[in-house]
Amino acid sequence: MTESSPVPLGATAPGGTPDPATGAPADGAADGRAGPGLAGEYAFAAVSAALGAYAIIGAGFIRVPPGSASVLGPRAFPYAVGVLLLVASVAVVVQIARGRRGVPDDGEDVDPDAPTDWLTVAKLVAIFLSQLVLIESAGWPVAVAVVFGGAAIVLGAKRWWMALLIGLGLGLVTQLVFGAWLGLSLPAGPLLDWIPIFHG
Amino acid sequence: MDSLTALLEGFATALQPQYLLIALFGVFIGTAVGVLPGIGPAMTVALLLPLTYTLDPTGALILFAGIYYGGMYGGSTTSILLNTPGESASIVTALEGNRMAKAGRGAAALATAAIGSFVAGTVATVLLTFLAPGIAKLAVQLGPADYFALIVVAFLTVGALLGSSVPRGLVSLGLGLLLGLVGTEVLSGQQRYTLGVPSLADGIDVVLIAVGLFALGETLFVASRLRHGPVRVIPVARGWRSWLTRDDLRRSWKPWLRGTAIGFPIGTIPAGGADVATFLSYATERRLAKGPSRAQFGRGAIEGVAGPESANNAAAAGVLVPLLTLGLPTTATAAIIISAFQSYGIRPGPLLFETQSGLVWALIASLYIGNVLLLVLNLPLVGMWVKVLRIPRPYLYAGILAFAGLGAYALHFNVFDTLTLLVVGIVGFLMRRYGYPVAPMVVGGILGPMAEEQLRKAMAISQGDLAYLVHSPFAIAAYATLAVIVVTGIWLKRRKARLEASPALVPTGAVAAVEIADAPADAATRDRE
Repeated sequence: MTESSPVPLGATAPGGTPDPATGAPADGAADGRAGPGLAGEYAFAAVSAALGAYAIIGAGFIRVPPGSASVLGPRAFPYAVGVLLLVASVAVVVQIARGRRGVPDDGEDVDPDAPTDWLTVAKLVAIFLSQLVLIESAGWPVAVAVVFGGAAIVLGAKRWWMALLIGLGLGLVTQLVFGAWLGLSLPAGPLLDWIPIFHG
Repeated sequence: MDSLTALLEGFATALQPQYLLIALFGVFIGTAVGVLPGIGPAMTVALLLPLTYTLDPTGALILFAGIYYGGMYGGSTTSILLNTPGESASIVTALEGNRMAKAGRGAAALATAAIGSFVAGTVATVLLTFLAPGIAKLAVQLGPADYFALIVVAFLTVGALLGSSVPRGLVSLGLGLLLGLVGTEVLSGQQRYTLGVPSLADGIDVVLIAVGLFALGETLFVASRLRHGPVRVIPVARGWRSWLTRDDLRRSWKPWLRGTAIGFPIGTIPAGGADVATFLSYATERRLAKGPSRAQFGRGAIEGVAGPESANNAAAAGVLVPLLTLGLPTTATAAIIISAFQSYGIRPGPLLFETQSGLVWALIASLYIGNVLLLVLNLPLVGMWVKVLRIPRPYLYAGILAFAGLGAYALHFNVFDTLTLLVVGIVGFLMRRYGYPVAPMVVGGILGPMAEEQLRKAMAISQGDLAYLVHSPFAIAAYATLAVIVVTGIWLKRRKARLEASPALVPTGAVAAVEIADAPADAATRDRE
């Protein structure tokens, strides 16, 4: 499901014919060396390479207990992982430089011709972050109402009050099913804690 | 005969009313979630994990088996009925199935997929029943060096074969291995890469990696380029008569069996999972088709649904062979199942058939039961799945976010896990955006610690002599196989890319586009012959 072969919309896509080198819709760029997302693609590969370097450097700081029985200490495998990550990331950078760009994933609800909408992503991340505070202060049902309602509104739900209402309903139902019935200790929050069934 | 009696005992357990009910629920909820567009089998299993947290191990594994098979099945309904290009894993089913649905034969496509899944699932489960104990017996004799070889084969093939390029797959694998390193190291008790955060000392749960990459990462990615406008579902004719005609049946049964024969072996080796199996089956069916059915390929040939769909399900059962006998996950879904096993203190591997034999056989028995339940459940419930497909997308993805949050928080009831989930989710989004496969990362997260353990055991035995890693014939054979699998796999992928790029198979978004595409499609089909 993660196989990222391009959707061959070449015949109908406004970008024109598919790029023979990568099979990707060419997005108007002649050889795949330009086009949207190039900087981001380099950045992701660079950060991966940095993580690989960090793994290698960090491995040197892992304390090896004196007189440990095993011959291979706790450092060896991290070194290997770091080298793999670093080498593979550099290889990706080389590929990008040669024009072999990454092909974005496809899916039923993905519009292959749409540009990346970073603002929506940022909003969703911010909404999800609210869980860090809300779950333990306001309780699970409220936290779900905020996440569900907020996300649905950001994604274009027609009626905002409906989204919040469904979110609240979902929060209460999950609280009852998972908290009261299945016995997971989800905090009900100050608003509901006095009701015996939620206190479970 | 040993395994037969054990299997019967397994049935005795799995047929108890409460477990039967759990199996039914698992199959139902697995299909319902699997039908949801954008949710593949891996995400289905990851999202429904919290349901199993409070069950006893037997109940949890039975629920899992149902969810696993149900999720596999649900995906095919989506690709047949949803009027958008499907995801690649099920794209082969979509090629012919979607065309059949547009031609008003959606019910027949769904029926042949359902019965094909049943046939393949059952045959493959029989094979699993008789193969697994033998393999487990052989595997008991393997030493740490052999295990290390097997694990290296598993993660390198997964890393190299998934995704658009080998280095990208390996980057994904490396990120997973790095996350797997975080935490307190078992043998020496040293903390690694914990950045001094106490919550990280226990390591990063693979569930967080899976839910983060699949649920959260996928949602963020879909949100970043959401297809707006109304959801178009192809209507399905009601009534029994339209399901399968005698002619459909005549054309379907051979592809069902061929699909099974192709899918099961490919599922058992780490060669890219069901994706490769469905493609191979499709290519085979198209080559073998004669006369009028040959002309139908590209416009809704029933063989093109029956074969790949059987291959898909047979591969799903095949994946369970290395998982149960060796403890090796070869797909992201399998990695999640292993981590669920581990949360119950169960270690899948060769000893599983001895130490937990009751549990394993109950699980295998429930696979048979799940298959029957799926067949009974799915055809009559098509109307309901169609409604599920129509869920407005804002609510669908908001719901996935909410359940991802539940899965993370319910792990340890600690919001730190929620934060970890979000970070992994953002990484998953970026990986999808920039064309990295995410499955190797999940597999790396779970296989990394296992690889290190076996490697260090081997080195302890050999007093640090690296040559010990290739001292046994088994290990040498494993590394040789690795080379063969990678080369064949890359060759198959090339072929698949060529197949998908051919204009005959354009998965178009609108009915109207089919008519336009048909003319060049015919020309292209002739060209290849």
